[in-house]
Amino acid sequence: MKSKYLFFFCALLLLWTVACKPQQTGGSDAADVVLQRNTDPVKVSFWHTFNAEETVTLEQILGEFKQEYPHITVELQQVPFSDALNKYKTVAQAGQAPDVFRSEISWTTELASLGYLLSLDAFLDETAQRDYLPAALRYARYNNHIWGVPQVTDCLAFFYNKQMVATPPKTLDELVTMGKQITRPEQNKYGFFYRGDPYWYTPFVWAFGGDLIDSDTLTVKIAEPPAVEALQFLKDLRDKYKIVPPSVDFANDYDNMMIGFKNGEYAMIINGPWSTADALKGPEFKNPDNLGITRIPAGRGGYGSPTGGHNYVVSADTQKAFASWDLIDFLSRPEHQARFALKNNLLPTRQSTYNLPAVKANRIIQDFKYVLDAANTRPVIPQAGAIFIDLKPAYQAALLDEKTPQAALNEVKQAWQDLLETR
Amino acid sequence: MLKVRKSTPYLFLFPGLSMMLLLVFVPLVMGVNFSFQNITQRNAYPRTFRITERMPDGAVKITTRKEAAEVKYVGFENYRKVFKSQSFWKVFGQTLTWTFFNVFFHFVLGLGLALILNQQLRLKGLWRALLLIPWAVPSYITAFSWRWMFNGDYGFFNYLLEAMGLARISWLSDAFWSMFAVVTTNIWLGVPFMMITLLGGLQGIPDELYEAAQIDGASRWRQFWSVTLPMLKPVAMVTVLLGIVWTFNMFNIIYLVTQDNPHTDILATFAFKAFFVRGEYGLACAYAVVILVILALFSLLYLRMSKDNQVSA
Repeated sequence: MKSKYLFFFCALLLLWTVACKPQQTGGSDAADVVLQRNTDPVKVSFWHTFNAEETVTLEQILGEFKQEYPHITVELQQVPFSDALNKYKTVAQAGQAPDVFRSEISWTTELASLGYLLSLDAFLDETAQRDYLPAALRYARYNNHIWGVPQVTDCLAFFYNKQMVATPPKTLDELVTMGKQITRPEQNKYGFFYRGDPYWYTPFVWAFGGDLIDSDTLTVKIAEPPAVEALQFLKDLRDKYKIVPPSVDFANDYDNMMIGFKNGEYAMIINGPWSTADALKGPEFKNPDNLGITRIPAGRGGYGSPTGGHNYVVSADTQKAFASWDLIDFLSRPEHQARFALKNNLLPTRQSTYNLPAVKANRIIQDFKYVLDAANTRPVIPQAGAIFIDLKPAYQAALLDEKTPQAALNEVKQAWQDLLETR
Repeated sequence: MLKVRKSTPYLFLFPGLSMMLLLVFVPLVMGVNFSFQNITQRNAYPRTFRITERMPDGAVKITTRKEAAEVKYVGFENYRKVFKSQSFWKVFGQTLTWTFFNVFFHFVLGLGLALILNQQLRLKGLWRALLLIPWAVPSYITAFSWRWMFNGDYGFFNYLLEAMGLARISWLSDAFWSMFAVVTTNIWLGVPFMMITLLGGLQGIPDELYEAAQIDGASRWRQFWSVTLPMLKPVAMVTVLLGIVWTFNMFNIIYLVTQDNPHTDILATFAFKAFFVRGEYGLACAYAVVILVILALFSLLYLRMSKDNQVSA
C-alpha cells in the first residue's frame, strides 16, 4: 500500500519538475537570410475562411494560377471563420502555420504583434500600395511595416426599402421624422431597426462626433459625451420616438432584422455588403431596384461607418516567401478581385478594380463604394479584436435600462484602459 | 490458486496509468503551475519578428529579431484578479442558480417519469423511446429549436402571449428570463438521462421488499418513502453528483441559446473567454483552479454526507 503512494508521489514530483522547467527558449540569434526567386516545384499551404460560394470562385482562379505558375501547388484548407484565429495561433505557436492565411483585419495586427507574420514590405512596395484604398491598407500597417495585403473591404451601410422610403434620410433628425411617418405598430410596421450588437452602435458614435479609441495616442474616447449621446439616441429611438420595435432579442436580432426587412415590416436597417444577396431573396425585393443602399444618416460629426475586411497574410515561419507572394499577388489582380466582387459581393480593395467597366456597371458595388468613401477606421491596435468583448455587455445593459449610458460606457472605458496596458 | 509475480499487476496498470498521466495529470499540474505565472499569449512563446526588404537585384532579405519569452511567477496575483473582478460573485451566483435548478428538475422530473415507466404499462417500449428523444437529438439542434421558440419577434411563446393579450417578453435578453430560457432548455435536454439511470436503479429493487411491505399493510406512499427511495439512494446519489459536476461546467447550451449574454454567464464561460478571447492564459488557469477547488470540496462533502447514512442493503 505504502509503495503505491510512494510511486504516485514520485510521479507527481517528476511531473512538477517537467512542467515548471523555466522556459529558456529563444535568444537573439539575428540571422539574416537572402532569398532568390527560383522555379523549383513547391507546395504552398493556404488557410482560408471563404464560404462555399466564394470557394467556388477561388478554386476557378486557382486553376488559372496553376497554368501561369506550374511549379507552385496550392494546398487549400477551409477553416470555419469563428475558430480560425485560435487555430492559427495554435499552429503558429508550434511553428506549423500555413504559408498563407486569410486574416480578419483586427487579427492581422494581433498576429503581427505576436510575431507570427512575415512582413511584406519587400513585396507590396510604395508604388503597389498606392493602388489600394487607404482605408483598407491602414489595417495592414502596424509598427511601420506592412503585414498583409487587403483582400476585401466592407462597411456598414444604410439599407432602405424604396417602396416605403422614397428618398433616404440624410441626417439623424430626418431619420426620426421619416421613421415616425412610417411606423404603424398595429400593422407591425416600423421605420427603423438597430441591433444589440455593439458593431452596429459604432456608426452612431462617429456620427455624433465621437470615437472609440484614438489609434495614435491610444486614448480611450468611448465614455466621452458624443458616444454617450449616441447611445442615448438609440435608446430614444425605442422609448421616445418609438420608431423601432419595442421587443429586444439580442441573440436573434440579426435574423429578425433581415426577416422583417425582407418582408416589408422594417423600412430601414443597417447592414453590410455580405447581406445584399440575402436581402434580394426577400419578397419585397423581387425587383432588385427596390433595395436602396446609401450612407447611414449623418449627425453633427458627419457620416459614420466601421470599415472592416480581410487581409492575406504570410506566416513568419514560411520557407516559401516568393511562392506565397506569387499566390497573393495573383489573387489580388484587379480582374480576380472583380470576379469575387461580381459573383460574391466582396468589395474590392484596389482603385483599379473599381475602374473596371464591369465593376463600374454594378450599382450595388458602386453604392457601397460611396459609403466606403466616408467610412471610419476601427482602432488599429493588437487588442482590436478584444474591444468589442467589453463593449457588448455594457452596451446591452444600457439598452435594457439596467445601467445609464454614462455608467455603462465608463465601465467600458476602464476595461479598455486595462486592455491597452497589456502589451 | 493462480500465482502471479508481484510486478505483473503493475505491468497491466502501466498503459492505462501512463495515458492518465499524460492526458490528465500533466495538463492539470501545468495548469496549476500556469495559474501562478503572468503567462499570456504575448509572453508564453519567444516572438520572432521577420522584416523583409527588397534588394537591388530582386532578391529579398529577411532580417530576424527575436524576443525571448519572459514568464515570471507572480504568486497569487491571478487569484487576486479573479476575486477582485466585479462580476465574479455575480457569475458565481448565476453558476449556482444554473446548477441547482437544472439538477433539481432533472432529478424530480426524471424520477417521476422513471416511476411511471416502472409500472405495468401498455406500449412501455414506445413510451420509453419517445421520452429518450430529447437525449438522442444532437444538443445543438435542440438548442436552436428552443432559441427559435424564444425568439422575441417571431417566437412561439411571444405569439402565445400576444394571442392572450399579454405583452411580449424579451426571453433571451432580459436578466431573469434569459436564465429561465437556458435552464428550461437544459432541463428538457437532461431529463431523459436521469430518467434512464433512475429506471435502472428502480428495476434493481427486489420485488420481495414490496411484497413484504404490502403484507405489513404499507400504503403506496409509504412504500415509496420506505422502500423505493432508500433503495434508490446509492444510484441517485451518484447520478446527482455527476449531474452537478457536469452542469456546473456545461456552457455549450448557454452559448447556443442566449449566445454571449452576461446574465447567463457561468464560471466556465469566464475561464473560456479569458483563455481563448483574451489570451490571458494565467488568469484562465486561475479560474479553472478555482472551479476545480469548488467542485472538489463539494464532491468530498457530498460523498462524506452520503456515506454517513449509507443504506445497509
